[in-house]
Amino acid sequence: MSDLWLVAQREINVRIRTRGFLISLAVSAVLVAGLAFLPKLFSGPDTYSVGVVGTAPQSAELEVTPYPDEAAARQAVLDEKVDAALVGPGKVIANGELNQKLGLVLDNLHRSEQLKAAGVTLQPLQVESVGADARYQGVRAGIASLLVMTLFFLLIYSTMYVAMGVVEEKGSRIVELLLTSVRPWQLLGGKIVGLGLLGLINLVVVIVAGLGTSYAAGLAGDLPPGMAGIAVGTVVWFLLGYAFFAAMAAAFGSLVSRQEELNSVLTPMTMTLMVTYLVAFLAAAQPTGVPARILSLVPPFSSMVMPVRSAATEVPLWEIGLAGVLMVAAAAGVLVVGARIYERAVLRTGARVKLGEVVGRP
Amino acid sequence: MLEIHDLRKTYGDKTALDGVSFAVRPGEMFGFVGANGAGKTTTMRIVMGVLQADSGSVTWDGTPLGFPERRTFGYMPEERGLYQKMKVQEQIVYFGRLHGLSATAAARAAGDLVERLGLTERAGDAVEALSLGNQQRVQLAVALVHAPTALVLDEPFSGLDPLAVDALAEVLEERSNAGVPVIFSSHQLELVERMCDSVGIISAGRMVASGPVDELRSREGRRTLRVVVRGAVSDWAAGLPVTVEGDRQVLITSEGDEQAILRAAVQAGQVEHFGWEQPTLTEIFREAVA
Repeated sequence: MSDLWLVAQREINVRIRTRGFLISLAVSAVLVAGLAFLPKLFSGPDTYSVGVVGTAPQSAELEVTPYPDEAAARQAVLDEKVDAALVGPGKVIANGELNQKLGLVLDNLHRSEQLKAAGVTLQPLQVESVGADARYQGVRAGIASLLVMTLFFLLIYSTMYVAMGVVEEKGSRIVELLLTSVRPWQLLGGKIVGLGLLGLINLVVVIVAGLGTSYAAGLAGDLPPGMAGIAVGTVVWFLLGYAFFAAMAAAFGSLVSRQEELNSVLTPMTMTLMVTYLVAFLAAAQPTGVPARILSLVPPFSSMVMPVRSAATEVPLWEIGLAGVLMVAAAAGVLVVGARIYERAVLRTGARVKLGEVVGRP
Repeated sequence: MLEIHDLRKTYGDKTALDGVSFAVRPGEMFGFVGANGAGKTTTMRIVMGVLQADSGSVTWDGTPLGFPERRTFGYMPEERGLYQKMKVQEQIVYFGRLHGLSATAAARAAGDLVERLGLTERAGDAVEALSLGNQQRVQLAVALVHAPTALVLDEPFSGLDPLAVDALAEVLEERSNAGVPVIFSSHQLELVERMCDSVGIISAGRMVASGPVDELRSREGRRTLRVVVRGAVSDWAAGLPVTVEGDRQVLITSEGDEQAILRAAVQAGQVEHFGWEQPTLTEIFREAVA
């Protein structure tokens, strides 16, 4: 195990110092932070400044500045020191057209004051939501589509590094030297663990950047409940999906000796990953549909569809559990088969090894 | 003692090894020679476990050689392989650690080797920035860093300048003197002859000769008498059972009576050289693979 960890450490040390890794880390963090900040830009301001002559109304949405008389308030509006001025019961001064939302707020205040004066007690509206909690649907859909992209890019990034590393070692024949001192499963395992940890670091940075920005921008209240669960679930699903696809990448990568041949030999893996991405993308759009429900249980699609679905809507626990068990089994199976292919193919340098020659009979 | 017993290996209908056997004792330097494609690399790869033999076995001190024992060996594959983007010192340390050294022991051993092999100034450079000769020194350091219990080196001298050859020869002799069996293959037969205690000659997958160099020499029936006579007429040796080569030098097979030849030579002119010559490894090799 310590040898596996030595190999993993080398992978991390070599990769983490490259400019490419640091740049992709920074870019993904900035991108996600920007996307998390986006709602803030499109929604209006939270409060309005209002000049008031006389008694100030009580409202969380208003920032009140008192003025001695109507003339002073009028001047403040003209100077754009305040958005509008309330100069007497039912009289508002605005600069040009009154802001629609501010108008609604003032109108509401005006009405309730009149009703209060008339002795009417207002009962607030009782809202009961049936079916899925629809309050956060927009935010959930946004988070889900952000997750699809993040998971896809991280999966393809990390697994490509695994494949390239395998070919680098096979092509340079260093593998011949390595395998006299470590077992094939230690070499492969170390590579998968090391590069997986780098992917994990990237994912955590992205999650922290996204959530951190939301909290910093004061948008935390808009986030659906159970964000921590969604974040942890995403990390777990990423690791399962990574294990599955990285084992595939290593097995296919070990069949060739040159980086130029890598793309064609990896086609089955990249196609599977692309299809997974597409179904996850569709699931993000229709998280409650039957296709999304079924595909979120089927490995390896579940590795992306399930976290996306959990972010987009409430998913029954038993479905998450079932999908988890199936995905763990699939990843373990692919790891075992992938390690066997790798072990048999990685020392056979030269021409591309045919898959049929390394699976099946020992 | 490292023993190779009756290794056989075929690729399709091509026979690569056809019953290769030899042994290398502790402290023995074994030169493995043979034409290209004769089976040297295949044999060494089987010894190092990166290739499986069809039949035959490799034993270490009488027991079958397995992964834990091989892990203590030092290996230099025919196709050199290093991480091109990794720094020299880091790379040597990494391989030391893979062979089970602690971080401090690996750093110390790597530092020693870097200095020993004249790589001190390049220790912090990426391998890809080094000349091929220097890369080969790094490859050697990687094979030596864990103080191996045996050394298996495939063409360690190829591509090295004379100074690097001397440095490498010195390191190998030191390990050999410390009781480590050393196998190396080479096409530089003079070097093998100078360095090795024993030689194995392989041809078309079969060992055609193997044993101590002196033993191979005495086994060689043909002995050569070299006589150099200055001022002799070119047919001075006519009537003697000899072959004249060139103007004054005479190479004579062992059937001749050397005293009669000496008398004839003295009469013919001024004798500059007279003596029996040992066959060189090159001659033994030519004879053996012919």
